[in-house]
Amino acid sequence: MKIKLTFSSLGIIVLIILFVISAAVIAIIDTRVTNKLEGVLWTIPAKVYSRSLDLAEGSKVNKSNLIRELEMLSYSEDKYPSKPGEFIYKKNSLKIFLRGYEDQKSGLFKILFKEGKVIKITNQLGISEDLIRFEPIAIGGMYPSHMEDRILLNWSQVPSILIDTILLVEDQSFFDHNGISLRSISRAFFTNVKAGDIEQGGSTITQQLAKNLFFTSEQTIKRKAMEAIAALLIEFHYSKEEILLAYINDVFLAQSGKRAIHGFGMGAQHFFGTSLSNLETEQIALLVGMLKGPSLYNPRRNPNNATNRRNLVLGVLQKGRRINLSSLEEYRARPLGIVSASFRSETKYPAFHDLVRLELRKNYKDSELRTQGLKIQTNLDPVLQESLENSIQNTKDQLIKKYGKKLVELEGAAIAVDISTGEIQAVVGSSNPSKFGFNRSINAIRPIGSLVKPFIYLTALNKYDKYTLTTIMDDSKLSIMSGGEIWEPNNFNKKFHGNIPLHVALWQSYNIASARLGLELGYDSVEETFNKLGISKSIERYPSLFIGSFEMSPFDAIQSYQAIAADGFYSPLRSIRDIKNIKGDIDLSYQYKIEQRMRPEPVYLLKFAMQQTFISGTARGYSRKKIESWQAGGKTGTSDDQRDSWFVGFAGDLLVLVWLGFDDNRATPLTGRSGALEVWKNFINDIQPSSVEKNSFPRIKYVWTDKNDGLLSGEKCKNSLLVPFIIGTEPNTIPSVRNRCASKPKRNQSDVMKKLKKVFKEGQG
Amino acid sequence: MNKFRFVIPFFAFFLFLSCASNQDKKYIASDSISISEFSSSVELLVSDTNFLEEEILKINAKNPSVQRILVNSDTYLKEGKLIQANSELERALRITKKESAIYLRLAHLRLIQGLTDESKSFASRALLIKEISSWERLLLNVYLKSFI
Repeated sequence: MKIKLTFSSLGIIVLIILFVISAAVIAIIDTRVTNKLEGVLWTIPAKVYSRSLDLAEGSKVNKSNLIRELEMLSYSEDKYPSKPGEFIYKKNSLKIFLRGYEDQKSGLFKILFKEGKVIKITNQLGISEDLIRFEPIAIGGMYPSHMEDRILLNWSQVPSILIDTILLVEDQSFFDHNGISLRSISRAFFTNVKAGDIEQGGSTITQQLAKNLFFTSEQTIKRKAMEAIAALLIEFHYSKEEILLAYINDVFLAQSGKRAIHGFGMGAQHFFGTSLSNLETEQIALLVGMLKGPSLYNPRRNPNNATNRRNLVLGVLQKGRRINLSSLEEYRARPLGIVSASFRSETKYPAFHDLVRLELRKNYKDSELRTQGLKIQTNLDPVLQESLENSIQNTKDQLIKKYGKKLVELEGAAIAVDISTGEIQAVVGSSNPSKFGFNRSINAIRPIGSLVKPFIYLTALNKYDKYTLTTIMDDSKLSIMSGGEIWEPNNFNKKFHGNIPLHVALWQSYNIASARLGLELGYDSVEETFNKLGISKSIERYPSLFIGSFEMSPFDAIQSYQAIAADGFYSPLRSIRDIKNIKGDIDLSYQYKIEQRMRPEPVYLLKFAMQQTFISGTARGYSRKKIESWQAGGKTGTSDDQRDSWFVGFAGDLLVLVWLGFDDNRATPLTGRSGALEVWKNFINDIQPSSVEKNSFPRIKYVWTDKNDGLLSGEKCKNSLLVPFIIGTEPNTIPSVRNRCASKPKRNQSDVMKKLKKVFKEGQG
Repeated sequence: MNKFRFVIPFFAFFLFLSCASNQDKKYIASDSISISEFSSSVELLVSDTNFLEEEILKINAKNPSVQRILVNSDTYLKEGKLIQANSELERALRITKKESAIYLRLAHLRLIQGLTDESKSFASRALLIKEISSWERLLLNVYLKSFI
């Protein structure tokens, strides 16, 4: 059978083909539209925040740290704070207009301070408030590959003035058209023909939303046609309210390094450091004005353009009778009020971010972190973090000045934690802290030098019936066979010191006395202490272990010192406080854990010896009053050939560990004292921790002893020192040479010792 | 319930003697208490956890701001919202670490969460706080003893 192709039948076939192609194109566009609007647009990266600062009556506050935090939060000083984000600090009072965060409402508050503590908080009506909360600082996120960052808003979070402004400026007939406005298109067409170029867009809000779906800004007829089809499809599938809300959440507002800032919620945070609901009319006008050209009208880069554009939008609002003439003048006179830029890549603090990510991966899949809008509140204290970063950088500069260019490649790591809760407050993993890459705080595994010694001495002090702080140690020449060779440890000063009390051997960090003590205690006994302090790695049974061949990362080292600083109560270090889901409910809480690993009394004795590092040893230089108020203590560490410089120290509620060295493990000219300790001191001097109250140790008694022989002495005797003992273990012999200046003890030691043992055996309390 | 209330003052009295600040007296006094007798009495006291909880929640913080947070925590605890109760207690702890009322609640909360060792550790940690009353000391000792 022959088919006659007539002109009309050919036309029908062509039409059918065109219809099929069009239907396919529409189907493809439809899939993309629905996928985006129901999928990608609602995938929100997890956001990481610093801790939020609570202030309550009794809170310890360091004024300069508080002001620094306010600056980091972009609060500005104003004589009469009247708007969110303003404050004034006078004498001992802070007046602040809080922006509001979670359950903390925005408003004016007055806080009175006395002797480093908050003594009263009142609101603007003069009524006492128990507690106020500052907003946290956004420090990073877990982004998908396109790096789009947004905060998803629902209708109740969108202020009506924003809707009015968008409609007036972008699409006045939004509620009347079906996705495409022929009136707008014809107006744009005539303008563009006249100009001979595409100068004006006739896009409706729906078309603009459609445009974003195709991730391109090229202006071609084909793309315009697809955009128009997509707009019609969007209108077909969704209500006007849904379209407007999607637009508000999706518009591109700025590029911040790798991050793309989308939506008005994120825009408000990015430019004004607060939520959209807290924005003033002129701030909303600025954001809406930016839609015409996010780069051209970026208020940080082009403040003049941005101001002109904002004022123009305010004029549109006045013409549209959303604001009156006097408000228009007032709003136009206001400054832009932009906060300083936050992080530009994944995070502001790479080393801390690493810890957060490692922790999160234990409980969340990568895809969950990048799409579910989780809100991660960490324990990071932004002021401590900045200070620790500066301390490492500044100290390195000082060391280069002192030792020359050979230290240019010097690297470092430092960690600051809250002693009792184990909250990680600051982490630095490089001498260039903002650099991404090798994070030495967790990955540099190095010999800890004399940082190991407190573990050995603690093992001894736990055997309180045999060792006290004044037990005499032998620091004379030691020569033993180890691994088929003779091992003869040396002191750092290459001298022998004979018989010395235990506490002196520790704070003077004598190697020979420590090695002899370790050998006497035995590897098993020492390993047991390691385990109690949280060190799971098994020890190598060489005597060099006792003077510092043991290798640890800074993170693991500070974890083991946490239990010491916290009087024997081990708390796993935590970088994250809690994780909330997109609705604001707690999804996972990293709650405070403690485990009593040791009796507090032997740890107390060790801390006394570590305090001597500040009073008489390598870290001296602080006043006795300061050391007492901080309950400070510490230990320096230097590995073989000075390849590693360590210092760990506690002051106030803070435990801080610092490591310095080269990545290729070559020798440095630094000891623990001349290197890491300098970083520690710069940090602590800058932060000035608050004082801490002493804990109660009813089983501890202080006795005057002689610094050399460790036997009883008296306050009036030369060379005497007040040393703590577990009751019943104190010395009771007064050498005849000190009979005159010392007084005899009144009690019989053996009786008390029996009672002490009984109490220890039968339980605490 | 009433028989417990009758027993408590005696514990408090004995404990006061055992914990007096003068160490010489302390050891003499502790000799006068039979530890086994004490333990069995404590077990009797804690056989009713609701009663124990009532007693714990009566311990107020000295700091009024901290007390307000504790009230929030107590409300969450009664509603069975343990994570929120814990968050509030940690919030209080960031203001001060010297209020035994916080540690008592943490010890109790951990017990409810089934974390007995942690409960003991919190109780033990609280015993290091200065200016702790004999009644608080007794309650803390309840958590130090293995029970339930």
